[in-house]
This record gives sequence, C-alpha cells and structure tokens, in this order.
Amino acid sequence: MATNEILTEDPGLDPATGEFRVIAPGFSFKSVTAKIADIVLTPKTSLGWLLFFAIGGAVATLVLVAVTWLFLKGTGIWAISQPVAWGFAIINFVWWIGIGHAGTLISAILLLFKQSWRNSINRFAEAMTIFAVVCAGMFPLIHVGRPWLGYWLFPYPNTMNVWPQFRSPLLWDVFAVSTYATISIVFWYVGMIPDFGTLRDRAHSNFAKYIYGLVALGWRGSVRHWMRYETASLLLAGLATPLVLSVHTVISFDFAVAVLPGWHTTIFPPYFVAGAVYSGFAMVLTLAIPLRKVYHLEGLVTERHIDNMGKVMLATGSIVAYGYGMEVFMSWYSASHWEAFMMWNRMFGPMGWSYWVLIFCNIAFPLTTLWVRKLRTNISFMFLISIIVNIGMWFERFVIVVTSLYRDFLPSSWGTYRATKWDYMTYIGTMGLFTALFLLFVRFLPMIPMNEIKMMLPSAKLTAKAEKAVGAGD
Amino acid sequence: MTSERGNDMMNQDNGMTLAEVRAKLNGSRGKRYWRSIDELAGTPEFEAAVAREFPDQAQEWVDPVSRRGFMKLMGASLALAGLAGCTKQPDEPIYPYVKQPEDLLLGRPDYFATAYPSPTGGVPLLVKSDAYRPIKVDGNPDHPYNLGSSDPYTQGTLLDLYDPDRSQHSTLRGERREWAEFVQVFRDKLIASRGNGGEGLYFLTSTITSPTLARQWKEAQAAYPKARLVQYDPINRDAVRAAIGAKDLQYDLSAADVVVSLDADFLSTAAFPGFHKLVREFVARRKSPEKGLNRLYVVESTTSTTGLKAEHRLGLRAGEVPAFTAALARELGVSVNAPAATWPDSEANFVKALAKDLKANAGKSVVIAGEQQDPSVLALAVAINQALGNFGKTVFATETVQPLPTSQTAELKALVSDLWSGKVDWLVILNANPVYNAPADLNFKAALDKAKTSVHLGTHIDETGSETLWHLSGTHYLETWSDVRSYDGTVSIVQPLIDPLYHGHSAHELVQLLSDEPSLSPYEAVRTTWRAQLSKSGEFEANWRKALHAGWVEGTAFEKGTAVTAASLPVPAPSSRDSVEVIFRADPSIYDGRFSNIGWLQELPKPVTNLSWDNAALLSGATLTKLNIEEGDILEVTVGGQTVKTPVLVVPGHPDNSVTVYLGYGREQAGRVGSGAGFNAYLLRTSATPFLATGAKLAKTDGKWGFAVTKSHFQDHRSKFFGGEGSGNNSLEGNEAETRGIIRWATLEEFKSNPGFANEGENHPKVERDVTLFPNWEYNGNAWGMSIDLNSCVGCNACIVSCYAENNIAVVGKQQVRIGRNMQWLRIDTYFEGDLATPRAHFQPMACQHCENAPCEQVCPVGATVHTPEGLNTMVYNRCVGTRYCSNNCPYKVRRYNFLLFSDFETESLKLMRNPDVSVRSRGVMEKCSYCVQRISAAKIEADKENREVRDGEVVTACQQACPASAITFGNLNDKSSRVAKLAKDERTYSVLADLNTRPRTTYVAAVLNPNPELAEAPVEHAPAKG
Repeated sequence: MATNEILTEDPGLDPATGEFRVIAPGFSFKSVTAKIADIVLTPKTSLGWLLFFAIGGAVATLVLVAVTWLFLKGTGIWAISQPVAWGFAIINFVWWIGIGHAGTLISAILLLFKQSWRNSINRFAEAMTIFAVVCAGMFPLIHVGRPWLGYWLFPYPNTMNVWPQFRSPLLWDVFAVSTYATISIVFWYVGMIPDFGTLRDRAHSNFAKYIYGLVALGWRGSVRHWMRYETASLLLAGLATPLVLSVHTVISFDFAVAVLPGWHTTIFPPYFVAGAVYSGFAMVLTLAIPLRKVYHLEGLVTERHIDNMGKVMLATGSIVAYGYGMEVFMSWYSASHWEAFMMWNRMFGPMGWSYWVLIFCNIAFPLTTLWVRKLRTNISFMFLISIIVNIGMWFERFVIVVTSLYRDFLPSSWGTYRATKWDYMTYIGTMGLFTALFLLFVRFLPMIPMNEIKMMLPSAKLTAKAEKAVGAGD
Repeated sequence: MTSERGNDMMNQDNGMTLAEVRAKLNGSRGKRYWRSIDELAGTPEFEAAVAREFPDQAQEWVDPVSRRGFMKLMGASLALAGLAGCTKQPDEPIYPYVKQPEDLLLGRPDYFATAYPSPTGGVPLLVKSDAYRPIKVDGNPDHPYNLGSSDPYTQGTLLDLYDPDRSQHSTLRGERREWAEFVQVFRDKLIASRGNGGEGLYFLTSTITSPTLARQWKEAQAAYPKARLVQYDPINRDAVRAAIGAKDLQYDLSAADVVVSLDADFLSTAAFPGFHKLVREFVARRKSPEKGLNRLYVVESTTSTTGLKAEHRLGLRAGEVPAFTAALARELGVSVNAPAATWPDSEANFVKALAKDLKANAGKSVVIAGEQQDPSVLALAVAINQALGNFGKTVFATETVQPLPTSQTAELKALVSDLWSGKVDWLVILNANPVYNAPADLNFKAALDKAKTSVHLGTHIDETGSETLWHLSGTHYLETWSDVRSYDGTVSIVQPLIDPLYHGHSAHELVQLLSDEPSLSPYEAVRTTWRAQLSKSGEFEANWRKALHAGWVEGTAFEKGTAVTAASLPVPAPSSRDSVEVIFRADPSIYDGRFSNIGWLQELPKPVTNLSWDNAALLSGATLTKLNIEEGDILEVTVGGQTVKTPVLVVPGHPDNSVTVYLGYGREQAGRVGSGAGFNAYLLRTSATPFLATGAKLAKTDGKWGFAVTKSHFQDHRSKFFGGEGSGNNSLEGNEAETRGIIRWATLEEFKSNPGFANEGENHPKVERDVTLFPNWEYNGNAWGMSIDLNSCVGCNACIVSCYAENNIAVVGKQQVRIGRNMQWLRIDTYFEGDLATPRAHFQPMACQHCENAPCEQVCPVGATVHTPEGLNTMVYNRCVGTRYCSNNCPYKVRRYNFLLFSDFETESLKLMRNPDVSVRSRGVMEKCSYCVQRISAAKIEADKENREVRDGEVVTACQQACPASAITFGNLNDKSSRVAKLAKDERTYSVLADLNTRPRTTYVAAVLNPNPELAEAPVEHAPAKG
C-alpha cells in the first residue's frame, strides 16, 4: 500500500498491514503481568478511585432509597398510569440487558471467530455484562405490583398446584435472563482462573494470597490445566453464543407478541439484538476510554480496539437504522391504519421529540461520522459518540415502550407520560450501582486477561527464542 | 321493623361504654398486667383512645389527616387491645342465638322498597340490605315512574349515608349537646311564643318534598300563625312557578315524533324533573329504527348530552333563547309579546325548518322548556304546545310535585330583610346550607348573625352548621321514616333501612315539636298522613304493609289534565353578542354542592367535558382564542362587582362570549373529599340573576390550573396525507374513532337503504370467526354476553356510580385521576364528530369486553387472568403479581390497576358499605369489569336449587340495572330466545376493534339518527380555535 511508508513512522501501526497494532510494541510477558497484576495488588488505593467509588456508592444509594419507598408505597410512585402501564422500569431493563450483550459477544462470539484482538477488552467487557445484568435484573422484580410474590414467576412445585403461564413472554424473560446471568458469570469466572493463579503467586499479603488462592481453585498452570481451561472456555463460548442472540430476541418478544401497534412487529428480534450490540459496544467504549487513560493501558487497549469497536458499531448501527427504516416503510406498505397512525404519532405526536432524539443519537450522528477512520481513532470523539449512542439507545426503548402505549387503539384512553423523581432516582441509582461494582472489579480483579494477552505477544510464538523465554519462567 | 333490629344492634354496640370498662377495671381484682392499664386509664390519651374505640365518637379516628394523632395513641390503644382480649365473659351463663331472626340469613341480602327524596321529585328505590346494612341503592323495578332505573345522584346517596365526615353529635356553640337539651330549649321558646302566634319564629328549609312534612308544617302553622317557613334551594323551580303557577308539566315522549328542547337538559341529569321517565320514553322511540324514529331538536346554551344526542342542535347564548323561542312561537302563529328580532341565516333557517316540522307533527310533538331559563320561555313553550294541540297527547298539566310550592328566591330575600330588621328571633335551618349557597347579594352569613338564636339541622356540620348557635345532627333518608312523591305524583313511603348511624334526628321530629304531640315519631307521622288514603279500600294496616312492600301508595299518581294558563310574560331582548354572559348550572355530578363530599360523584367524569374533581369556566374555543388564553389558565370573572378566579376549560359547541359555571364547588366545610375542590360560583350569583348574568368581564390572571380530565381531546391538525383534515377544527379522537370503526352510525335514510351498514365498508371491520388455524372453542353451557345500544345511551353516568357501589371500587383523588389512574371499571367514551364549534357527539360505554380471544390472558406470566367455560374473562386477584402486561395488551384499555393502596381499609363507616360478595382490592393488583360475576353466581345458585337453567333477565349487571335508557342488555348468548342473543344477531350490531380478532362478548348496536333533510349541515367557516 502506498500509505505504508507514511504510516510505519507511527510505532502504533503494524508495518505489514497499516493497521493499528493490537498490542503496542515493547511488551514482554513480565511487563504484561506486572502492568495488569500491579493494578490489583498494589496496597495503595488511589484517591481518584476512592473518590469515584464514593460518588458511585452515593449514587447507588439512590436505588436503595427509591426501592425502599417503592416497596412501602407501591409502583404508583412512578409515572406509570393507564394507558402507559410500563415506563422507566422496563425501558431501563431492556437498556441494561442490551448493554450486557457486547460483553458476551466479545467474549464468546469473537473467541469462536478467533478475533484475538478481543483479548484486551474481553475481561472488563464481560464484567460490564454481569453488572449490567445485575442492574437489569433488578427491574423486572421491582416493577411488579407485589414484588414479594415475584417468585410465582418461577415454575416451582407448590401446594397450590399452580404453574406459571408459559405462553407469556414475561415468563420467557425469566428463563432467558436467568440463564444469561448464570452463563455469563460462569464464563467470566472460568476465564479468570489462570489470572487468579498469577495473582495468588504475586500477592504479598497473606490475606490476598488466601483469597486469590481460594478462587484460583488450585491452578498450577500445568498443561493439563491449560488444556481443560481451553476446552471449558470453548464450550462456554459455544453456550454463550446463542444467548447473545436469544436473550434480546426473547426480550423483544415482550413487545412483539403483544397486539399493540408499534410493538406487534416481526422485525423486533434481529433489530433488538443489533441494537443491544450497538449499545453494548458504546458502553464498552465508554468504559475502556477512561480506563486505559487512568491505568495507562494504552499499550494494551490500543487505537486498534477503539477502531474495531467503531466498526462494529457502524455495522450494528446500520442494522438498527435498517430496522427503523423498515418500521416506517411497513407502516405505509402494510396499509394498516393502526401502523400508519402509530408512526405518524411517533414522529409528530406530542412525544415526537423523543423519536427525533433517537434518530439523531443513533443514526444521524454516529452513522455519518463512524465511516471516517480519523474520527474512529480519535479517542475524545469516540468517547463522545459512545455517550451519544447510549443516550440514543435508551431513547429507542423509551420510544418503543411509551410512544406505542400512550396512544393506542381507543382514542378515549389516550394519555401521556411524565417521569417522576422516583423514576429518575431509580435509573440514575443503577448507574451508580454499576459504577461502584465496576470500580470494585477494577480494583480487585484483573481487568485484562494476562494469560490471553501474553499468548498474543510475539514472544508467545513458539520460536526457539521464545521457548527460551518460556523456559525462563516469565 | 328494621328500626327495631337496628336498635338491638346499637345496644350491642353500646354494651361496653367507657364507664362500664372503668367499672369493670375497678371492680375486678385483676390480673397483674391489668394494673398498668388501670393506671393508663387515668391519662387523657387513654380516654381519647377509648372514646375513639366507639362509633358514636369515631371522628378523628377516621380522618387520615390526624394519622399523627393515631401514632401517638398507638401505645394506649395497643394496651386496650390487650384489655379486650382479656375481658372475660360474664360469670352468668350466656347463650348464642340458636334461632336466628326470621328474616335474616347471613350472606343472603334483603331488599326493601324506599325512595330517595330528590328535590325534583322522589326516586323510588329498592335498596339491598346485607346484615341490616344498606349496601346498594337501585331503582324500584316495579314502580311505574322509573321502572328500576336510577341516576348518578341517587346512586351516590349511598356513600353519603356512610360518609365518615357526617356530623356525629349535636352541638351548642361547638360544644357537644344532646338532642334532648335542644328539645328542652326549643319547647321553652315555643311555650313562650304561643301567645304571640310564633312571631319571630322562622324556618328555612330546602325544598320540602315530603307530604308529611308539609302536613306537619301546616298544622304547626295553624298553631303558630305568625311563624314563617321559607324554602330555598339554589337550583329551584321559581321559573315554573312564575310561568304556570302551582302546576307541573309532564311530558309523554312515547307519543312524540318530534321533541324540541329549549335549553332543557332533560337527558343528562336528574336535576331535570321527571328525568327517569323522560329518558326511558325518549330512547324507547329510538331502539328500533325499522319502526321509525323520533327526532330531537335542541336549542341550548351550555353544551349538554341532550344537545349532543340531538339530530339538530343549535348553540345559542342563554340570553338569546327567549327571543329564539319567541321567533319559533311567531312562526307557529302564537301571539308573542315581544318585538321581532332579526336572526342570522343559520338560525333563521333553523326556526323555519323546526316550525315546519312541528306543524307537520302537531299533536305528535312536544316542546320542552328548561326550568333554568327565563320564565317567558316556559310560558311560550306552553303556548306553543297548546297551539300544536300537544296538550292531552304529549303534554299534561298536573298538580305540582312540591307539596308547598313557593317562589323561593323571593322568600329568601324577604327572610334576609327580616333578619336585618331584627324581626327574627329564632331561625331554624333544616337540611339547607344557605351560608354557602344563598345568592351573594343577600350576604346571608352576615344576616344570620342577626338572628337571636339560630339552629341548623343537617347531616354535616357544613358552612351553615358551623355558623349557627345550635347544630343538630340530622338523618340521611335511609335512616328515617318519611314520604315523597315521584314526579308523576305517586307517593312512596321512605322506609329507613338502618338506625341513625350517629343518633341523628329528622326534620319531621323537629317540626313535630311544634304540635300538640311533640314526641310523635316520624313513623307515626307518616302513617297519620296516609291513614285516610290507605283506608279507602280495605284495612289500613294491610294496605300500609302493601305500600311499604311495593314501594308506593296505590292511586296517588296525579291526574293528568290539560288546564294550565301560562302567564303572559315579557320576552327579554337578547344581549349583544359582544357582551359576555355567565350561565349558572347545577353540576352534573354534585348538583348544587350537596353531594360534594361523595368521592364517587366527585371522581365521576362529567358528561361532555370529562372533567372530574373541579368546576371551571366553560368556554367555546373561539372565545378562548379571542381572549388569547389557553386551557388551564386562570380567568377572573367579574359580574356586578363580584369577582372569582376560575380556571378555563373549552367545551365543544358552547356559544361564544358565554361562560358556563357549574355550582356546587369551592366548598369550605364539605368534608375531606369536597372541601377545597373547585371554585365557588355562588359568589357570582345574585338573587336577581340566579341562572344567567350578563355584562360579565373576563380577564386573565397569573397561574395555571391542572385539571383532572379523564379523556384528552386534541384538535386534528394532520394533513390529508396523514389521514386528517388539516383544519384543526375537528377532534383528533373523534376523527380516529370513526376511521377505526369504533363509532358507527347512519342516518335513517342510509339505514333504510342499507340496514347492514354497521358491518360493511372499509372502516367497519367484521368479526371473522373462521380466520384461525385452531378450532374455535365451543361454549356449550352459558355464554354470557352484553349488548349496548348506542342509540339509547345518553351518557348520564348512572352506570358508573352503580358500578362503584356494586364492586367496591376505590376513589383515588384528583391527583391520581390527573395522571390517568381512576379506577372506574366502566367509562363512557365521548367522541366529538365534526366541527368542534358545532359538534355531534357519540357516547360509548366501555368496560371489559370479555374477549373470547383475550389478549390480556396470554401475556399474564402467572395466569392471574383466565377464561371461564362460560366465556368470562376473570381476574384472580389473589394470584395477580401486578406486571401490568395485561393492561398494555388490552386494546380497549379497560383494565384498572391499584398503583397505590387506593382502597380504604381504615375508615370504619366505609366498611359497612362494602358489598360482601366482592373483594376489596389491595395495592399492586389489576382489576376490571367482571360482568358482575357475583350476580351471575347468585343467579346460578338459585337456578341450581330449582334445577333449571338461568332465565333470561335473571342476571342483571349493576350498570344495566341503573341505566335509565335501558341501553345495556346482558344475558346468555347461547339461549337463542334471550334478548341479548337477539340483539347480537341484529344487523346493526358490531364489535369494537373487530379486526383484531379479539371476539368481544360485548357488542354495540350502531346508532341511527333521523335528521331533518331540510337542515342539511352546512360546513361552518371559521378560524381554527385553540384548545
């Protein structure tokens, strides 16, 4: 390529391809381990961490307050009403679950596809998934009118001889989300076992040694261990892969199965999955960009990652845009008055502003700019775009839930929706909860898989020289 | 008989008084922990707790405001609970009853005939009583006047009985007193005034409806010839008295092909005398278009459901109606004492076409004048009816239903001037609230101070009760014996169903004090009144029992005559169309304010506006534009120096430069529900202009008011491309309702040429039962269904209030209604069609449709809403976890959710009122119309006992029972001979949202209108109004 000569001057670029390197040059096994393990094992907790953790924890208490009040008073403290009987709780649920999807996609699908660049971002993306599922999983429970009876959604043997109603998509949600949470946690944990071994071995305090030793499950790094580890990873990746598609498909059924115009549409499953990955990658970016800056991980999470994630967003964003386009097209092509009115109302009704916010945040802004490589590798710009897409994807759910409900079949029942402070408190509180959990993760667990990074180092290639290095025990 | 049993119950309640508890505590040697209670007993907290434990003092206990007080009392009352738990049975052996009272079977209700003494004539009732508690008020189905129908006010009176804010004891200067103490003082006064003929003794009462009370007064008057009785109700019939004297007009709409209303709102509320019968007869002529239809013309000021049901409605300023009536009379050849006015083309054409139609239907038409109009309108209407030969055919003159007809405003004025001149020694106010509702110019509150002794008898310590020296706790009509005439003259005995809850006393007892037999009970007084009548044929006791049983006294209906002379009254000239007039009307929900503490009625969306919990300045859209204000802005309305601030609401069809205000709001001492709701329109109302004030000034002031309007209304600004008309003059909801086939109707001509119009054409989707891969479920037993005749429904709301009472529905309050959380299982959807300046409206009662393919059922994750083999879509409250998914998936949005703890589980008096067959729902639970499943079950049990099928008409739902228009039919669709099955087969029957294949069990019969071809509607050209 003609540009190669110019680009090779940049140490971050691979001279062979002209792409950014996945790992900046100069890393060795030792330096990778030191870089990542020291973040965790340092006895000094930075003031910045404490500050952000305090903020996150304080914000998380909003959830505690809001949910306590909710349990005392009932769901009426929220803005939900007739006809808009679902509001922030469901919007937030879908939004958080959607965010989680990127983590699973990165850790499972990209693993199967041997996209080794994913190794740098896989661990914290997966942590993001779990914390997002924690935040998401809270909502279906607290949004019901009598949460103390929420266990009735599970098919458990009981003296009443009553089963859940298996035709309800809400029940499918229960299975989908609980499976998803289980697999994600197991996959995440299994992935960390070799790193726990490393941490155990490097830890100075006895307490840390004890704890990391406990969770390392006796990892010794033997070939047998590695073999089983790799097999388990592959199996779990195989299990998790369909979940990436199925969980949000099932969640889209909550809407698609209903008779409501704006919900009742077959395009929802793919469109929801694409949207989930879109928002998930945006969230990974939102997390990765400050992380690499603060912990000086630019060498491990390089512009290549940012660039790749931008490309994934471009692709999934385009699918989402296609979905929006199809909705508009079908509202005309179906010749159904319900669809036509729904779309007119969504665009030009009293809440039309929300539709245009969504169009701007999800399509107009990202899908025009992400084509440009300069912008894709501009860190500040990518951070901005990740925030915008997150907002846009939240509004997508808002538009779907609220603007379909508030003006449905019988015009006499039309209403409106205006969120209350309790709605906002719960939503913002989950962000605090997420932040706090994520900061704990960053502080106490290896946020980048050392073993997988090391495998990607040039020295991991089994050359004679490398074998020596391995033998040296790094 | 009920009264006796009630006494027993009260005695049981009184079995443990504070004194007895004390005595018991002192007398017993006691277990150890009793001593601490004994110590406690001396403290004021303990006394307060004990006082509140007993119903006759249970005042603050039920007031949510003093929850703090409740918390303070917790300790002491917990101790009390311990006390109750440890109380021994008496040492002597006691036995429970082994034979229960003959007429009491717990769990099986009894029904008693009685009547609600409404100021416009009694409403005969059959009241359901469960364990001696009246729990449901409904019309007496055998009574010839209402045939079982009722109205919102009547339905609401049940809650009035159990109102926790009722006055619970008599007071003197606010201190508690006994009735006997008052009697002592009053008798002393009477003895003193024997000599001067009762001079200075004044009585002020609301309109007397009881012939017995009238008789008692006449006897008192004979003993005290100088005593004065003044009747006053703010919504009174002075105009009738002025126009035709002590007579009433009755109309027979079953014989009328053409009905003309001149500002007579006879279809919307029982504020119009004879409402129940008029509605029934009016809609009877609209049920079978194949046999022809009547035609209704309405000329009205305030938009009412009567006008919106009309084939032809002409909105005129209230001040123009007399002149319009004169023009109509002149057109019909009646001599008129007024100069001819010139009318714009539209009105002139209307008069011509109307007159032509009336002439063509002479003797088969009727002209009804509104009683809140100028008396000249009534007089001219009489003259027109006479000229058309309607008297004796569709119009009758009878004795008046008021036993003591008077000109009330004039009498009140005289009373006030007597007060000011110091002539009033004693003023006894009976069941009236003049401090609140007397004309503002009389300043009654100040005048009341001039009375040396003032007494107020009433069920509430209201604005008047708190100003008078004495307040006497009054009785509800279900607590005392009385009598009343329904508008056709038939006398009903008002039987009490429960002993006075708070030891109240009735007006009968008070007026009886003036007689020689001061302690004669109301029971005996009523019997005395009717002894002669009931002894005419046969024995009195037997006839008395029969009258009580049937609910009316045989042979007391008024003779229908034709002799009436209308006074020759000057026709007032209409005010300039540029000047602003203010129209005062009784509120459709809370009447003149007497029902303002009834949550059911406050929460009821008023017909036309769908406003609840408030009144407002009702304006036309054009006036709003002209004033450059918006809905919810605050307006200062000034009339004759008096100013009130009121929020603004637009009403389609309202005349321009005209403001309607509903009376009855802005009360200060109505109780926890009514106090502070809305603004007080009485402050604008003077004795000279009780129903119409002219020359008002409107000015916008700062502030915004949030209304609780249950149905939004938007203007349709969509362009043609998006399915609208672009003008902004039409209602978006109305346009959509027609496009979506929710409302289907045709003219009589269209119907004749195409009787199947309701199920044909693009916008009229049909139910197609065979478009399914799965075989249809077979309903082999009963298949319950409902049919609602949209031609009959007049949107009066009686069904909704009836549903409240039957199904223990919670009242949620204004703020919750504002955000769309009202709990009414049944609503009446109002859709405005056409130009909002001259709209037509369609009323559609909408409750759960009991879809055979119910979308709600399949999305419930716990199976809390399921289908019964008889086709009912049922809610299992116990199983509901409250995901609200069912509500989202309900295309009819008829499900109601307990977002908060809406049901009142604390107020003791309300517990007595609840229907024991229906659970009271707690928070977090979805609820909805059940087709009154408890009534279905009751009928099925009866049928099972007799080993037969449920008969058609045996199951009557609460809404159906209340409906004065018999618009609702319920029954078994599988019984081919049932009325509902026949209606389901009617060509006009359609399902709402049929294209969704929900297969609703509730179907609607499309309306057919009978417009006059000469009055083809011409589109009105005007700038779009704001709204």
